[in-house]
Formats: sequence, C-alpha cells, structure tokens
Amino acid sequence: MALSSEEVRQLADLARLELDENEVTAAEKDLDKILGFVDRLKKVETQGVEPASMPARTEWRQDIAQPVDELARETILANFPARSGDLLKAPGVFEKPKGK
Amino acid sequence: MQLNELTIAEARKKLDAGEISAKDLTQACLDQIRSLNGALNAFLEVYTDEALAAAKKSDARRADGNILGPLDGIPLALKDNLMDQGKRITAGSKILANHIAAYDATAVRKLKEQGAVILGRTNMDEFAMGSSTEHSAYGPTRHPRDSERVPGGSSGGSAVALATNMCLGAFGSDTGGSIRQPAAFCGVLGLKPTYGRVSRSGLIAMASSLDQIGPFAKTAEDAASLLSAIQGNDPADQTTAQQEPFVPAWTENLTGVKIGLPRQAWGEGMQEGVRSAVQTAVQVMEKLGAQISEVDLPYVDEALAVYYVLMPCEVSANLARFDGMRYGLRLENLPIFETYAKTRATGFGPEVRRRIMLGTYALSRGYYEAYYVQAKKVQTLIRRAYDNALQKVDLLLTPTAPTTAFKIGEKTADPLTMYLEDIFTVGVNVAGLPAVSVPCGTAEALPVGMHLTGRAFCEAELLAAVRVYEQGS
Repeated sequence: MALSSEEVRQLADLARLELDENEVTAAEKDLDKILGFVDRLKKVETQGVEPASMPARTEWRQDIAQPVDELARETILANFPARSGDLLKAPGVFEKPKGK
Repeated sequence: MQLNELTIAEARKKLDAGEISAKDLTQACLDQIRSLNGALNAFLEVYTDEALAAAKKSDARRADGNILGPLDGIPLALKDNLMDQGKRITAGSKILANHIAAYDATAVRKLKEQGAVILGRTNMDEFAMGSSTEHSAYGPTRHPRDSERVPGGSSGGSAVALATNMCLGAFGSDTGGSIRQPAAFCGVLGLKPTYGRVSRSGLIAMASSLDQIGPFAKTAEDAASLLSAIQGNDPADQTTAQQEPFVPAWTENLTGVKIGLPRQAWGEGMQEGVRSAVQTAVQVMEKLGAQISEVDLPYVDEALAVYYVLMPCEVSANLARFDGMRYGLRLENLPIFETYAKTRATGFGPEVRRRIMLGTYALSRGYYEAYYVQAKKVQTLIRRAYDNALQKVDLLLTPTAPTTAFKIGEKTADPLTMYLEDIFTVGVNVAGLPAVSVPCGTAEALPVGMHLTGRAFCEAELLAAVRVYEQGS
C-alpha cells in the first residue's frame, strides 16, 4: 500500500526527524517497497494464535537507588550536551508543538 | 607462526608454559593493527598504551601464580556498541561522536575481571543496522581479501579484526545476523548465543527482544572460552535466563547426531558457489557420522517479514532516547521540537532514519494491529515451527548467507536487497535460538559460511558438532 507524501511528513513529525523534500520522496519509495514485502504477513492465518511474549522473568527486581562510583557520575555529567554546574541544561519545554 | 596468529587455546598453553608473555602477544596484535588497519578500517580506536599496561599486569599475575581466569592476558576486540567505562562509544553514529561510556557492560566487566586485554573498539553499521558495515558514520570496513568488497555487518569491524589476526578473539552483537553473516563473509566462526544467555546490560540497544552479544573466534574451542567468560544471569538484565551455565561438552564424532536441511531454505536465490560449498560440508558431516535428512521449516520468508516489522518497532522506541537532551549531539533551536528534529535528522544516518520511520508507522494508530500484533502472532508460529523441526533433528543446517561478500555500494541503493542478506539468519533471532556460522570453504576465492542452529540453551551440542567438523574437514 502506497504512502502519500503527506503521510510521510506526518510520520517524520511523529518520529521527530526533520526531512527535506528529497528525503520525503526517497522515504516514500523505500517505505512502499519494504511495506510491500512485509505485507505477506497479512496472508498468514493467525486466528487463535497468541502473540509471542518475551521470555522474561515475571517478577521485577526492587527499584533500589544505588550509589555510583565517582567516575560513572563524572562521566554522566560530562556527557550532558549542556550543563550548569551539576545540572542538565535544556531548552524550554513549554513551547507549542509543531503544526498546532 | 606469528604470535597473533595463535588460537586462544594455543596462546594459553604457551603462556602457562612460560614460552611467551602476554606483553609480546599483545604487541604482536598491535603491530598487525598498525600495518593493516589503515587499509581495512576494522578498529575505530586502539588503546595501545592501556593494552600493553594490562598485558604487563597479566604477566606479573602469572609470574605470581594467580591468574584471574582462562582469558588472562588474551588480547580481544570489542564492537563499538559495548560499553567500556571511560572509553568513547559511538555505535558507529555521529549522534554519539563524543560520547564516553559511564559504566562497563556486564560482558565487558566480566572480561576485565578475567584479565582479558582489550585492544580497542571496532567499526560497525550505525546502531548495528546493516549487513555490510557501509552504514558506519566513520567509513566502511573493507573485506580482508578484496578491498572493493564489504566484510558483512553489522559487526564487520570485529569480523575483519579477527580474520586478519589483529586480535585472538572479538565480540559483536547479533539482532538478525550481525555476528554470523560477517563471520561467514570473512571466514571465521561467529556464534549467536540463545536469547537470555548473555546479559545485554551495557550493550547499546537496537531491538531489545532480539539483541544478543556473542563471540567471533578462530575455533569452536575458542568460541566456548569466550562464551563461558561472558554468560550468565544478571540482575541488570531481566531477560537473562536462569539456566544451567554453558559448559563445553566435546565429542569425538557425529555418530547419532541428526542434522536437518530445511527444505524451504534450499530453494532459489542462493549463489551457486555457496550452495556447492555448503553441500560439500554436509557430505563431510555425514562421513563424520551425522544422519542427514530433509526437514520441513515453514515461514522462511515470513520470518524475514516478521523481523522487518518487530525490529523497526523496537528501534523507533529504543532510539527515541537520542533527542539531544541528556547525551549525544544537540543542535539547539526553538521551539524545542526543532531541537529534537534537527538533532536527530543530522545525527542519524539514512538507514537509521529509514528504520525509525518504518517502526513509527507500524506502531501508529490504525496500523499497530495489522503490523506489530500480527508479526508477534506469526512469531509464535515461527517458534513452533522451529520447535517441531528440532524435535525431529538435533541441528538445522543452511548456508549463513545467500551470497559471498558483495561489492561496496552494490546493495546500498535498494534497502530491500540488503535486507534479503538476512534470510537464513533472522529466523533464529525471531525464535530466540542459538546458532553458529562456521567457515566451509570458498566460492570464487571468497569465504562461505555454514549455519547451524541448535535447541535453546544447547550451545554445547552446537559447538561440539562444529569442533568435530573442524577436525574432520
């Protein structure tokens, strides 16, 4: 099934990716091809079949705060794109979302 | 023979006998890296001084008679998505160009605790997305036998590092074939353990329900040593299994071992040279005592389709964390939406963006049931199909990849042709089973890999069969 360029632009917005016009056209073409391939799944009879679940343990570990070593702490802080002392500096979040 | 050409088992014997030192062993690897890496781009960074220092410490421990484990003093390479505290880690992406690992991945910590020498980090497709290592932001890795060709991917750097004796063993990660396919292309052994065998803590996530860390090795015995070192239950990864630990169990021959050739996998679309090399390997296995039969393994094409739905869905969720806020690249612009969108568009390469878009689509309202839920249901059918087949036989055998190493640029224009490279390997990730790619000759001078799949948590049987084949072929 073919995606329109409008749908591709909307997807890019949802995925927080800035695409130019060439990239939108390329994405339309690529996604069509891949979706054309995966569409064969729709033909598989799955009535009464349970979706596969992760083979994870069912009990959760306790969420206990643990001290980290100083190197880990310093590295986490150093990895901040912008900081103010030991605080993470971020742009204001109370902005209007795009297109609203 | 140069020291860097030794297997881990041979090196260990010589170290124990005092014939060689870990320092000389490490130096031999570093010399090999210096002479070849400029042409091959297997390592993105080499820790020369630290590796030599670690090797000297290992020598001192050995002199004192208290080595830390079987890998003490053995020089190894790590894929650039395995966290090594204090070292740069990029996952092959520009978005993490300056990122430093804050802690050790559980697997890396275990290697260090055993005294292994870490030589450096190896090149990979960006966030492990690709089958050629061409999608690295740091340039492609080249095939050791033909610089016009790819080494496979996504763990191409680790495969090339081992194939060219830059290290004695290497680690990669495998989500749809990223250890096994480059192993096949480069002529080394590559093992994807059972899902849950090895902790994923500290592995940069691609598709968490499919990702697994595993070794590249020169022999089955070396692969067993490397798997033994990193395996085990981990409180930091809820999906690690509470199972009996892997212990190698070697056998003398393949008598009584039933090997199934899945009918559906041996059809069209396979390079003729690959087919004949793997058929020859099948005959060798038969001579060594294996019972060969055809088996039914439905849903081969569907497994690839399931993979290309589930994987992008998990990718789009896992990579949402790269938004320019807490770490990695930030291109600040207001409103904040523009910061996210610009950072991600600039920091991610085309293949990563493509998969994020695909996953976002498959998870969006109105399509979630048709794509994600349906793929999870077909995953159940695929698991059953493997279970059924593995009740009749002990191991399943196919080629690892439909082709040998292809030319650089040959498959980048059409993503779907690149995806088809994974046709024989993804099923195992979808089913969560262990599998190994074993070198089995060449086609037009390029290595071919044979792919063996075993039952869940039966890596010992798998590697035992490989060892018999290695010694009998």
